[in-house]
Amino acid sequence: MRETDLVIVGAGAAGLSAASEAAKHGLSVTVLDDNLLPGGQYFRRLPTSYRHTKETVFDKERARADALYATTGQKGVTYLNDAVVWEAPEDGVLAFARGADSGRIRAKLTIIASGAHDRPAPFPGWTLPGVVTAGGLQNLLKGQRVIPGRRAVVAGNGPLVLLVGATLARAGAELREVVEAAPILKRLAGSIADLLAMPKIVRQAADYRLAIMKSGAKLRTGWTVIEARGANELEEVVLAPIDEAGKVNRSRSRTVKADLLVVGFGLMPSIEMVRLMDCKLEWKPLRGGWVPVRGANFETSRPGVLAVGDGAGIGGVEMALREGKLAGVIAAERLGKLSRDQAASLKAPIQSEIAKVETFRRGLERLYAMPPAFLDLLTPETIVCRCEDVTAGELRARQDAGFGSTAALKGTTRTTMGRCQGRNCLRTLLALIAQASGQPIDQVMMPRPRLPARLVTIGDLLQEELPPIEMPKDPHLPRGEQVS
Amino acid sequence: MTGFRITDGIDRGTAFQFTCDGEAVTAYPGESIAAALMAAGHRRTRVSARSQMSRGLYCGMGVCWECIMVVDGKPAVRACMTPAEPGMKVQTQHGVGPGDGA
Amino acid sequence: MAGSVFVETPPRDAEIVVVGGGVAGMSTALFLARAGRDVVLLERGVPWGVASGANAGTLSLQVKRAEVLDLCKLSLDVWRRFGAEMDVDVGFGQPGGLRVATTDAEVAHLREYSDEQRGGGLEFEWLEGNQLRDMAPWLSTGVRAATFCSGDAYASPLLAGGSLIAAVAKAGGRIVGHAEVTGLSRENGAYRIETTKGATRAKILIITAGPWSGGLARMLGVALPIYVDVNMLSITESAPKLLDRVITHIGGILSLKQLPNGTILIGGGWQGRGRFAGMEKFADHVRLGQNLTTAVSVVPDLAKLRLVRTWAGYEAVAPDALPAFGRLPGTDDAYIAAAARGGFTFGPAQGLLMSEMILGQPPSTPIGRFDPARLLTGAHA
Repeated sequence: MRETDLVIVGAGAAGLSAASEAAKHGLSVTVLDDNLLPGGQYFRRLPTSYRHTKETVFDKERARADALYATTGQKGVTYLNDAVVWEAPEDGVLAFARGADSGRIRAKLTIIASGAHDRPAPFPGWTLPGVVTAGGLQNLLKGQRVIPGRRAVVAGNGPLVLLVGATLARAGAELREVVEAAPILKRLAGSIADLLAMPKIVRQAADYRLAIMKSGAKLRTGWTVIEARGANELEEVVLAPIDEAGKVNRSRSRTVKADLLVVGFGLMPSIEMVRLMDCKLEWKPLRGGWVPVRGANFETSRPGVLAVGDGAGIGGVEMALREGKLAGVIAAERLGKLSRDQAASLKAPIQSEIAKVETFRRGLERLYAMPPAFLDLLTPETIVCRCEDVTAGELRARQDAGFGSTAALKGTTRTTMGRCQGRNCLRTLLALIAQASGQPIDQVMMPRPRLPARLVTIGDLLQEELPPIEMPKDPHLPRGEQVS
Repeated sequence: MTGFRITDGIDRGTAFQFTCDGEAVTAYPGESIAAALMAAGHRRTRVSARSQMSRGLYCGMGVCWECIMVVDGKPAVRACMTPAEPGMKVQTQHGVGPGDGA
Repeated sequence: MAGSVFVETPPRDAEIVVVGGGVAGMSTALFLARAGRDVVLLERGVPWGVASGANAGTLSLQVKRAEVLDLCKLSLDVWRRFGAEMDVDVGFGQPGGLRVATTDAEVAHLREYSDEQRGGGLEFEWLEGNQLRDMAPWLSTGVRAATFCSGDAYASPLLAGGSLIAAVAKAGGRIVGHAEVTGLSRENGAYRIETTKGATRAKILIITAGPWSGGLARMLGVALPIYVDVNMLSITESAPKLLDRVITHIGGILSLKQLPNGTILIGGGWQGRGRFAGMEKFADHVRLGQNLTTAVSVVPDLAKLRLVRTWAGYEAVAPDALPAFGRLPGTDDAYIAAAARGGFTFGPAQGLLMSEMILGQPPSTPIGRFDPARLLTGAHA
């Protein structure tokens, strides 16, 4: 079994910042990440064989990105790419799959920096090829410099909408419409004071808006996508106004020809590892939904396990970088590499920056807050579970028949049981149950967390050495406890 | 209508080819299968098992499994996470595998 | 929409109350309701929410001990008839099964075991060498011999639940979920049944509550020893056809089958961790590895597939692993059908036989050896 002082799950902004800081203070750090290249989503890296021939508008983050990538070669840091962490078999131990190098790692401290992915927001036609998530679009841009369509519409709710719109405009796509569900222009006055805690980001947002306007695309606020249409691929997008209560006005809908629809209705934290570790969760809708409860110093309810970055609650890249760095200091202090005073003086400036980002977040949350209105858009034919092809109609019919619990809906329809392990449908399923039962969504029973946290090949799981198999004398006879 | 590569400011090196459903597709070293296919305007990656619906790249980060394809005979390979290789044989996945027509 | 198949609360009176909404209880309720009897089924949680929905669905004749072969044959026939004759889709498939042996000792054991079962009236083919490879080219070369039993089958634990529940309701049975029985007593020639959703009375009481059956019997003064295994199960991603028989292992704990959607279920009864109290159950990392090692040693290509999910399910087992089936000793009209090793397999037969017992019909197969009186401990023994 590998041993390390600190193990970090995720090589994104938070994970690499934590690794860099912790190693700087003398900890041995191992970073496990399921991508081939470091950087996570925001700092997704171009293939290393690509050469930059000049700086373009897409290279503005290069300095920060390169600094993060350099962490993987930093003294004291072991970086394992293409490594899928799939279980925490005992305290301080993680099991990971990495081909012939699969195995376990024991650490004195664990930092989960698992990041986030787009929140599923189903609507009719959302499964058509040509409909991609905002995160996916940004990844293709950053990691590949490829735009997956030409005539584009962007729809969603949150800061990624403007960013994606600007990306497409600057990339030279025929950007048609950018629609933000929240009436952000109307709300700007009430949020600007907080937003100005991060003036650079406010300036960026203004630049994004300008780029969209210059492209000739329509930028609408208080509008949303209600349908995507096409025979086998996306051909057109239907947009309609949406009010602050989440009510869609179909009578004013517009149809736009497009071969690319980018949807971004916010992100949700990847919580599969903290769930598997039985960390206590809390429902924070403005932070993406279920997030691990964190005490002082980012520790979850499981001692020795810290959670940082978007995986601990959506806070954005600026938050992730700083939480990661702070976690690195915390780890070094806890493992005796920094005295309390040394750590305190390192923490103070980071904490004051985090306070600023939090102020900014508050402004952002007020600006973009919207009720989750997507359930009204579902027709009986709309797919809820993409892996198993389960429609909203099937689920609602089951609910009407009395199979209303999470377990019964899963069992009778297979929703959440496919390859994505519920990442693209569980939220919708919980929302449907909440709607039908009148419970708040955080009261709806979550399915039990199951192994593996992410899909791993059986061959990889068998790389580790196991104790010899002991057969029961008679496999028919009971092996468990007597209960009566 | 097709997707496209942003060429400004990037030297991708020497292009190579692989095939998708028998048709030649251009790619560059390090490029993902999905990116090369998007740039070539090939957007359907799979046909779903139960409802025979066309699906394509969706999340772009390996969590949704919508872009799975058959690669050199191996089913369920995520096109967004897998670099293209010269001479690779990529097929649209029909249900659990390459399907009859492929 | 016809509305819910469940009823919210138990009625004040019923002729028959079945306690426990798994495969044994659901089958019992189905046959009795179809015979026109007034049946109420009480389930403490979500109907079909425990063992019946969390097992591997293996319906294998050749893994069963000789003394339960007739019961097993009957049950497989009922499983088949659900879909074929009663319009209840339980995902039944009968591709036949291979029981494999990988060492000299296992080959000898398999011969001995299959001879014994042949004595019990089961038909086998003995396969080795090319014959075995022709039938199952996907088996590891490490498999030395196998018996093939064409009757081995499977059902879908997920599909069967929704279908059987709907069938019970359609036949007039009333199913009440989240009605945990908190008290049982005799009152004016009937049973008074207290539940968390109110009380009901019944002339006939049938306990089909798996691991909770012993606790319920105790409320009537009957002490039955019941154990609970925590069986682990794993399922792979969907894949093109890899294996087309139900696989079991004479020397290792293993069951394997590929379902129509292409997923492969890997089980056999490797023990997870956890306790019955609080219903805490988890996979065990080491034993999962051993389970998968055994599976790959029989079907090597499994190593290429991804694991999607591993879970643990309860299985109630009597000390002698035989069903506890029949009238509860010392009671007038209280019955039990529980605690068989392989309870999912036997559930439909137990349902049919229980209905025959209640309706005063001769049993389709002898049931004497399953009498719960054999298990009595303490004052009642």
